[in-house]
Amino acid sequence: MLRNRRNEILVAYILVAPFILIYGWLFIYPTIQMVQMSFTKAPLIGPGEWVGFKNYVRMFKDPTFFKAVLNTAYFVALTVVPGTLVALGIALMVRRLNGWMQSVVLALFFLPYVLPISVVYVIWDWLTNKQFGMLQGPISFFVGEPVNIWRTIPWFMPGAAIITIWWTNGFSILLFLAGLRNIPQELYEAAALDGATRRQMLTRITLPLLWPITVLCLTIQLILQMKIFDQVYLFAVGGRTQATMVMVQYIYEQAFQKNSGGYAATLAVALFVVVLVFSILQFQILRIRGQR
Amino acid sequence: MRNTLKAVSLAAVMAATGAHAKETVVWWDFLGGGDGVRMKKLIEDFNAAHADTIEIQATTLDWGTPFYSKVQTSAAVGEGPDLMTYHASRIPLAVSQGTLTELTADDMTAMGLTSGSFAPATWDAVNVDGKQYAVPFDTHPIVLYYNKDLLEKSGLIGADGLPAGLDGLDNFNAALQKLKDDGNEWAIAQVTADGGFAFRTIYSLLCQQDGAIGTDGDWFPGDSQEKLANAVGVIANWVEKGYNPGSTDYPATVALFTSGKSPFMINGVWEVPTMADLQAQNKLFNWGAIEIPALFNHPCTYSDSHAFAIPNNAGKPATPEKHAAVLEVVKFMEENSLFWATAGHIPANVAVTETAEYKAMQPQATYAKLTANAVFDPKSVNAGVASPLFDAAGNAFTAAINGETDPASAVADMKAELDALE
Repeated sequence: MLRNRRNEILVAYILVAPFILIYGWLFIYPTIQMVQMSFTKAPLIGPGEWVGFKNYVRMFKDPTFFKAVLNTAYFVALTVVPGTLVALGIALMVRRLNGWMQSVVLALFFLPYVLPISVVYVIWDWLTNKQFGMLQGPISFFVGEPVNIWRTIPWFMPGAAIITIWWTNGFSILLFLAGLRNIPQELYEAAALDGATRRQMLTRITLPLLWPITVLCLTIQLILQMKIFDQVYLFAVGGRTQATMVMVQYIYEQAFQKNSGGYAATLAVALFVVVLVFSILQFQILRIRGQR
Repeated sequence: MRNTLKAVSLAAVMAATGAHAKETVVWWDFLGGGDGVRMKKLIEDFNAAHADTIEIQATTLDWGTPFYSKVQTSAAVGEGPDLMTYHASRIPLAVSQGTLTELTADDMTAMGLTSGSFAPATWDAVNVDGKQYAVPFDTHPIVLYYNKDLLEKSGLIGADGLPAGLDGLDNFNAALQKLKDDGNEWAIAQVTADGGFAFRTIYSLLCQQDGAIGTDGDWFPGDSQEKLANAVGVIANWVEKGYNPGSTDYPATVALFTSGKSPFMINGVWEVPTMADLQAQNKLFNWGAIEIPALFNHPCTYSDSHAFAIPNNAGKPATPEKHAAVLEVVKFMEENSLFWATAGHIPANVAVTETAEYKAMQPQATYAKLTANAVFDPKSVNAGVASPLFDAAGNAFTAAINGETDPASAVADMKAELDALE
């Protein structure tokens, strides 16, 4: 018995060893290196002298760092919950369609999701171009003059958020639709017999049974949007990057543009801590919700 | 043609002696526009002329920060190319990182070049602390494009067929006002959504006032900070008066000029192929390009240089045969840079710009004289295309030229940002 168990443990170790090795080599080791690097004044390439906590002191005095944290938080607030609500609304409407019509409409909503960000950028850059963009018609109608959305600070983040929702929504819609199809039809029939209104069916049956899917969507979106970089970088480059800086962009700028790998590593550690805190918070909140 | 023949015969001799095995030269460049097409032609010509001896294997990468990050990181692990294009303005950073191989006097002799083959400012731009790190291929300044038909209507074309009466800020502004009064939607177009791009014009105007951008520690020597604010103010004024469209990006700027909505455009010489191609299809008005007029004390124009550089591949030094092949490639390109001039760039090799063929090439020959008045980026690891200096300019100038802040405080912000660089 005992010998058998030992054998099993050995086999288990052998089976997970490749994963542990690769995980350690590609994730743990670089992470340790990054933390080490954050205590040095290293350039992008090669070693740097040890400076202790100097980079961390600098970070807490760096207005651009706080700007980047706030902008990232603002962007997350503009995308995660609104994006999930929009996806839920669209999924509820798409569900009412039947047959090929549903497939076509679903495909149309999913199409942007398969586009690479560079294509998304070019499409929206054309649409919003101040001189020739199609969207300047409606903008002029409401504002009174054409606006360069990507150079007008108050417009920038909402603009980027709308594009991000347009771009990533297809996946959430698909998840919600799958969730909706999983709800047994009998529940609605029984409710109808009991005289429930449509509204009651939505709030008492559909939404509670969709909660696990909603949690999944929110989690995926939160992780995705905290790492926001591409859209903001592409739309801001050459212009007022400081005012719309987000965290990953600031790491990129310090490492690759300003050649200060040490400080970039410090910022990366900060982002790591922020993501960790949010993950734990979210885990706790969802656990409480799950126990109810 | 003569050079091609020479190269062919040289290749034939080398093939006949059978002394060399075929060398490959791995080549990286960042030339993605109209000039990229022309560079591919030059590479094809080279490969055809050296069919038995040397083959260039070329890859085009993304311009700007992505290119330079890739070069730095790959050279550091010995995986860089054998030869690459480089902006002269980015050489100081590369040298500080040990990315580039120094070129020796013997190398220059092998290529048949000397320091005298280049304009002094261009030559200086590829040298750091008295050592040469690249071979200049061209200079690519900004120029003033003009719509000859519209200028003629407003009486701004002189007896020599070139724009007249543009020297001095007051005269230039009067010309812009005249163009506006004559019913043009805009008088002048230049990129105003990208302060990093506008830096090229602003830096030219700073130089015209004898101001300078220094290097780390003393970014604005003397009264340069005031003069820089002056220069920013010129463009801010154009935007405010409605001469130059505000918050306008690069493609829209080109479109405003080519569609005839703006008689003037300030842009790089690399847009010359766009105009030439449109004209070949009969889709463009009569046009030309001239040196940026002297709005202040004297003419002076921002310029950068595409150069050839050899990466210092760590742990994998090039064999003598490979090195000779690389020098042969550069030699060929330098000798055949007349074709490169059709991309708008001014060939750095003076022997080429002095040929009758180049002197007959328009508008290239008209603006080529500006190389005598060119100003390059300051020699700092923080300066050059897509550098922290460009970035600081983007943040400061974009707001100022579109009237969101005043020029003086924008330049003060820029100084603060530059002083904070490590």
